[in-house]
Amino acid sequence: MMGLSWRMAWRSLGRSRRRTALSILGVSVGCAIAVFALAFMRGGRELRVRAISESGFGHARIAPVGWAQSRRDELRLQSWQQVLARARAVDGVAVVAPHARTPGLLAFGTRAVGVQLLGVDARAEPQINRLVRALVAGRYLNPGEEGVVVVGKALVERLDVELGDALLLTLARADGELEYAMLEIVGIVDTGSREIDHSICHVALAEMEKLTGLAGAGEISLVFAQASTIEEKVAELAALVGEGNEVLSWRQVLPAMGGDAAGDQAFTNLFIAIVVAVVVLGVTSAQLTAMLERRREFAVLMALGMKGGQLLRLVLLEAGLLGLMGAVVGLGLAAYPVYYTATSGIDFSSLMKGDIAIFGVFFDPVIYADMGAWMVFYALALSCFSTLVAALYPAFSVLRTDPGSALSLREM
Amino acid sequence: MEEALVQVRGVEKVFRSGSIEVPALRGIDLEINAGEFMAIAGPSGSGKTTLLNLMGALDVPTAGRVEVIGRDLSQLSRHQRADLRLRELGFVFQAYNLVPVLTAIENVEFVLELQGMDRRQRQARAQQTLDELGLGELAQRRPGAMSGGQQQRVAVARAVASRPRLVLADEPTANLDSDNAQALLGMMRRLRDEEGVSFVFSTHDPLVVSYASRVVSLRDGHIVSDERKEADG
Repeated sequence: MMGLSWRMAWRSLGRSRRRTALSILGVSVGCAIAVFALAFMRGGRELRVRAISESGFGHARIAPVGWAQSRRDELRLQSWQQVLARARAVDGVAVVAPHARTPGLLAFGTRAVGVQLLGVDARAEPQINRLVRALVAGRYLNPGEEGVVVVGKALVERLDVELGDALLLTLARADGELEYAMLEIVGIVDTGSREIDHSICHVALAEMEKLTGLAGAGEISLVFAQASTIEEKVAELAALVGEGNEVLSWRQVLPAMGGDAAGDQAFTNLFIAIVVAVVVLGVTSAQLTAMLERRREFAVLMALGMKGGQLLRLVLLEAGLLGLMGAVVGLGLAAYPVYYTATSGIDFSSLMKGDIAIFGVFFDPVIYADMGAWMVFYALALSCFSTLVAALYPAFSVLRTDPGSALSLREM
Repeated sequence: MEEALVQVRGVEKVFRSGSIEVPALRGIDLEINAGEFMAIAGPSGSGKTTLLNLMGALDVPTAGRVEVIGRDLSQLSRHQRADLRLRELGFVFQAYNLVPVLTAIENVEFVLELQGMDRRQRQARAQQTLDELGLGELAQRRPGAMSGGQQQRVAVARAVASRPRLVLADEPTANLDSDNAQALLGMMRRLRDEEGVSFVFSTHDPLVVSYASRVVSLRDGHIVSDERKEADG
């Protein structure tokens, strides 16, 4: 059973029902806006991490020390096969995919295109790179296969080639000599993004080693079973990769993308803070009016022996209950918009004007909100925090009430 | 020797509003003993409420000394004065001042909860107090559903439920008709006789004065008379 303070607080909300209803409406609208904004931001963040992960970058990367600063493709991992085996053995690591990159020139007849060649493990790559699944002709690489290449549709159009044609690859070896090779097109990928399709040029890692004269992988991309464990897994793997290698999170691999994510987060936080500030000011005004109207009652309670702390608790209880109801109504208001955007998403393809690749990351143009139990906790925390902060000034003004006025003020 | 509940010695109280000073009490000496049923009478502005405020530990004097249940008010913090009021004093206000969102029994319980009494005990005590005062049937009513007389009797129940030594009543009959006023005064005198609770009233109601066993009259902040008598009810 509720204590008398709880009952008083609860029933006091019913004294001016219109004011209470308006306060709850204000809190709940603010709460609903904040929940929706955060659900959408969380959905966008999740989408970003998934897009990066599935574009071959993974959640994290094991790279040679110094790569993060120099971005030199010719750097190679130390003892890469041991590192690969150790990474595969780590609990929570879902995919481990070694890569090596080098710039080259692909030519067919009189036409030539500069590309970045990607050496891949044909078994692991399809698990980490959803571009592989966008094959529109032919097939992907087979393990151990040499003399073949998978290219993007934009490259095919640029070079005016088709499946089965042989392209002349020219690249500079580690020793500075030029290397040539004929590569047969076995697969064509069409992602829908010309930027991405123009950069797809996959060969087997073993062939890359032969062509460049550089042994091993230049990076190992990692995908974790839970995207929420990225920081934790990066720290765990850092102890296993040995000297000369380091583990970088996707934010370090793609700092511009990390900056975008931080910017989005900051903007959302600022937006929510503005909403909360407006709600707090509105509720403060309503609460202050309510407290001033009850000054006589508070004076009587103090005359009867109620102490400042008890009075403060009573006022904050009322605010907490207001926040609780605001959270419930706010969740009700936010439920459908969040559900709709979580299930149907919002399609930004028209805004993106067909360009759905940024920094080599292939983005899905439809963003889905993140709907979950977090919304309940967040709404409760936000609403109760807002109403409690809003009640502080009225509460402290009540504490200044002179209990002697209970006797001095004669009329009700 | 009778126990002194309140001792007022050379008390002065001056209210300041900017540069204007308004003396409300000018050298009051008074002693209130256990078991008294006392009225402080006088016209408006004579200092009755100010004196009641001081005796109720709601205010402190500008000069002089007020001791309530042996405790010098000038030595007590705001918190300690609140505790003194809670545990030793009861209040009845002219305008009843029950908490409008609580029922009669909850209003009575409220002070007991502030004292830290557990729920079962305080409910039993509140119900017992209401029953003793013949208010049992009002227990579940809220103030808005009671007459003025009923509200004032519940206010008395609230004042005495915690078994205070002294109840201070500010113009308790001012808003009541004479029947209700007589019933209320009769109830309070019975509490004095049966429970030993002392009462001090501020009033200019002749009926209250007629019930009082001692009448202290104030004028312009001075005591002009202090008469002891047997109330004839």
